[in-house]
Amino acid sequence: MKSRWCRVVGIVALMCALVAPAATAQRVKIVLSNWHLVEPHWEKSIKEAVAEFMVRYPNIEVVLDYVSYAEKETKYMTAIEAGVGPDVMHLGPAEISFGLFATRGYFRDLTPFIQAEAAGFLDAWYPGVVDALSHEGKVYGLGNNYQAMVLMWNKRLFAEAGLDPERPPQTWEELLDYAKKLTRDRDGDGRIDTWGLGMVGRVDPGFQLRFTPILFGFGATYLSADYRCAAINTAAAKEAVKFFVDLFVTHGVVPPGVTDMTPGKVREQFAAEKIAMKITSAWGPPIVKSIRPDVDWDNIIGIAPVPVKAGTNPEIRTTAFLSYYAMNRNTKNPKESWELLKFLTSKEAQEKWFRDARVLSARRDVSQQYQLILDDPYAKVIGAELSRAAMVPMIPEWPQIIEAINVAVQKGLLGQPVDPAWRDAYLQINDILAGRRRAGERCPAY
Amino acid sequence: MNRTLARLITYGFLAVMVVFNLVPFFWMLSTSLKTGPEAYAIPPTWWPLNPTLYEGYGKVLLWTNFPRYFLNSLVVSLGAALLSTAVGALAGYGFSRFFFRGRTFLIGVLLASQMLPGVLLVGPYFKMLARIGLYNSYLGLIAAFTTLTLPFSAWMLKGFVDTVPHELDEAALIDGCCRRQAFLRVVLPLITPGMVATLIFAFLLAWGDLLWVLCLTSTDSMATVTLGLSRLVTQFRVLWPQLMAGSVIAVFPPMILYLILQKYLVQGLTGGAVKG
Amino acid sequence: MNAVPLTKSKGRGCLGRRGSPPSSLHRRHTRQGLAFILPCFVLLGLVLGFPMVVAFVNSFTPLWSRGLSGFTIDYYRRLLQDPIFLNSLVRTVYFVGATVALHLVLGLGMALVLNSAIRARRLFRIVALLPWTVPDVVAGLVWGWMYDPLSGILNDALLRLGVIASPIEWLATPSLVMPSVILADVWRGYPFVMLVLLAGLQAIPKEEYEAAKVDGANAFQEFFHVTLPHLGRMIAIATILDVIWQARRFGLIWVMTEGGPARSTEILSVLAYRQYFKFFNFEYASAMAVVLALILVVVGLPYVRAVARRA
Repeated sequence: MKSRWCRVVGIVALMCALVAPAATAQRVKIVLSNWHLVEPHWEKSIKEAVAEFMVRYPNIEVVLDYVSYAEKETKYMTAIEAGVGPDVMHLGPAEISFGLFATRGYFRDLTPFIQAEAAGFLDAWYPGVVDALSHEGKVYGLGNNYQAMVLMWNKRLFAEAGLDPERPPQTWEELLDYAKKLTRDRDGDGRIDTWGLGMVGRVDPGFQLRFTPILFGFGATYLSADYRCAAINTAAAKEAVKFFVDLFVTHGVVPPGVTDMTPGKVREQFAAEKIAMKITSAWGPPIVKSIRPDVDWDNIIGIAPVPVKAGTNPEIRTTAFLSYYAMNRNTKNPKESWELLKFLTSKEAQEKWFRDARVLSARRDVSQQYQLILDDPYAKVIGAELSRAAMVPMIPEWPQIIEAINVAVQKGLLGQPVDPAWRDAYLQINDILAGRRRAGERCPAY
Repeated sequence: MNRTLARLITYGFLAVMVVFNLVPFFWMLSTSLKTGPEAYAIPPTWWPLNPTLYEGYGKVLLWTNFPRYFLNSLVVSLGAALLSTAVGALAGYGFSRFFFRGRTFLIGVLLASQMLPGVLLVGPYFKMLARIGLYNSYLGLIAAFTTLTLPFSAWMLKGFVDTVPHELDEAALIDGCCRRQAFLRVVLPLITPGMVATLIFAFLLAWGDLLWVLCLTSTDSMATVTLGLSRLVTQFRVLWPQLMAGSVIAVFPPMILYLILQKYLVQGLTGGAVKG
Repeated sequence: MNAVPLTKSKGRGCLGRRGSPPSSLHRRHTRQGLAFILPCFVLLGLVLGFPMVVAFVNSFTPLWSRGLSGFTIDYYRRLLQDPIFLNSLVRTVYFVGATVALHLVLGLGMALVLNSAIRARRLFRIVALLPWTVPDVVAGLVWGWMYDPLSGILNDALLRLGVIASPIEWLATPSLVMPSVILADVWRGYPFVMLVLLAGLQAIPKEEYEAAKVDGANAFQEFFHVTLPHLGRMIAIATILDVIWQARRFGLIWVMTEGGPARSTEILSVLAYRQYFKFFNFEYASAMAVVLALILVVVGLPYVRAVARRA
């Protein structure tokens, strides 16, 4: 008697177990990997957006995967090579990953999905962004964040040093002058404890964004227009790198340990008021605020365009940070992944992203039209600067090229003569680009 | 005079080494109890002015996925330690008791396998794991850590089995036991301290690894403590109290294990293991 | 322990039962021995052997895209001309040499002290071994933070003691960064050597010292004539193991400097990792790793032969 009951219960349980997965099988699970999840105020916003998405698409379950900013490219490449990986991933700065991933075929082509949408779907984005995220005529990514690198300064420290807190430096020469005044001993113990400028000197993805404005601002570029040779042998480029290095080596307006500085450490220094200026973009002020919530940062932080070389007014004076969402070539649920991609880059989601993270969108119908952005004292500066910002080359060799530049700058920062190091980098980059040149074609001498 | 000088040198050296050994621990603990701004104070404070558990320990446990990393580390390190000790004990017994052709060669292979650097293996290994669907899984990681630990475990345990007199298992064989029983009932209990030592050793090796986890996991939910910590540094802010709190937590299990079992470890190593 | 030796057929029951015909004794002996070591070598083959072969082949040809066609030694030729690689090789030798030497010196010193008649020996032994329980990633983090030029404890202590006048940039001065990394590694690494040597010291028969005393030897003579000769083998073993481990060191340097600044701490494991996993030059990175493996095997071969023969 008892055993029969057991059997009945067992059969019922078994049937439930068989039926249950069938019932949930209609719910498609897709994985969204995003480095933004590691910063609390970003995480909150993304979780809310994803929750909203799941309400609208009850058949899709989005699983969030945390990944670190510096490691994400390695992680995705390893996973994709291995035939797995997240369905949707967020990558940036675009130059580090896009060329490499697109040439290696890591992305799923988004063109068919875009063609199935209403005509002019891509027109909402800045044309430059759409171009940047296309490879051989196919679109592989949808732009997410897009913003110019700018100068952030601390008005309180400016005032203490006798500078006009509302007037940021306009030229690099002026910046150096300011920085000298800002570098001082504030607590009177005889040791310098505050510096003019924070600088990223470590081999780090953050270096490119903070060094390029100076290179561009001096009128130089990294590579020749056809990407066959390095172009850092120009007088302008040499002058730019010399200026950058001298800020630390000759003038000492940058805190010690600069070759070990990551963007995170420099941000900590800014929040601790150890430095008065740094190059950043829209993400800067909110993170500083969350590091030290007790300080009235709204009245302390100023945002201005990066300076230019005195006496010039270059068309391009800064670089832009572009991040994008892309789809893994290994995804088993492309349709659902596309829905998520589309949702995350929609006007509505991008506006929410600005409200929560104060970060500007790669959609011009957001960055140029959203009233909150137009009214925001920081965002409007950063948005306006986009017209004077340029991206660096989107080629698969880029990660190696920027590493060579980064190492050359480090040598300079370590007190070694800049010119030989810069020359090494020039030759090394030409080596890296050798495959792009025809047989026998040579690059100009340094 | 000579004696006093010798004592002076001895205790002087000892004092320097004790400071050298302990200062990093002190700094780790001290920073983990500070608030963010205090950690960045110039000059630094040696003792936290307002010790707080929340800034360091609280945040690292609540904000980050650290508890999960901890669990992962525990699972894979224990798994690898157990696996390599079990398999190593078998191999140790085999090498200690049987003199077959090719034995010397195989011992050589075992020892030489320690010389392969991780960077050589990790790339192909991840592609292999991917093929069989073990990429980003506990099993794949445990197998990988076993490469770190197994050669040493087998070699150490061979040393331990060597210390057990042959007569004991021969007596067991004569009494009608078979080899397996002789191994399980006679030898194994006698080499327990050695197994414990090997276990700790393997655990420490696996717990401390970064390279393999870095390359063989893709999701955050599979990351280990070492990987989690190395990531915190390159994040958007560098919060030293959190990092140091995380470090204290990361050091905790191997240290506790070691403090409880250090008797076995020392005894194990003196028991012939490293003598070869 | 459920890991029972894997004999193929369960039905045959225990191997090596008493009273088997002597003619097959030797063969059965071999088979039994192999059965015990089989699991170990199956695991090693899968986890080490196969990837090793693949990596080796990969260093000659882009294996994953083109199969075995396109076999070339270009990657090795490139290695020989690549200053970044050659410098890294020299740096690796420096790093390994310095750390191993310091591990030995401090390890031996500490072992001698702990083996002598001092107070609270047990306590000191625990203290001496503590750093060894710290994962090298954590050691890198903590030392990196101690080295912090502004808020680190090291500069502060030296400033307070008046040893230095201004903060030293430990990890950002070319001549100091490698020694700083080495010091951090020594902190973590010497206790193991100490442990091995302590074991060796304790195994030296007391009579030998007494005999030396009778002969009127002083402490130094005692050390050179009794201690060192007895410790020779232990030192050799500790050295070779340490060389192998140090040449593979990755986590400590990765979190402290990532090989920087300006490659001044970029040892081979870091360089190969970067080439493989950051720039995705699989073949080139494999060639580097093969060279490192070959060097280690060549260095370690005499040890392997000596130990394997004696065993």
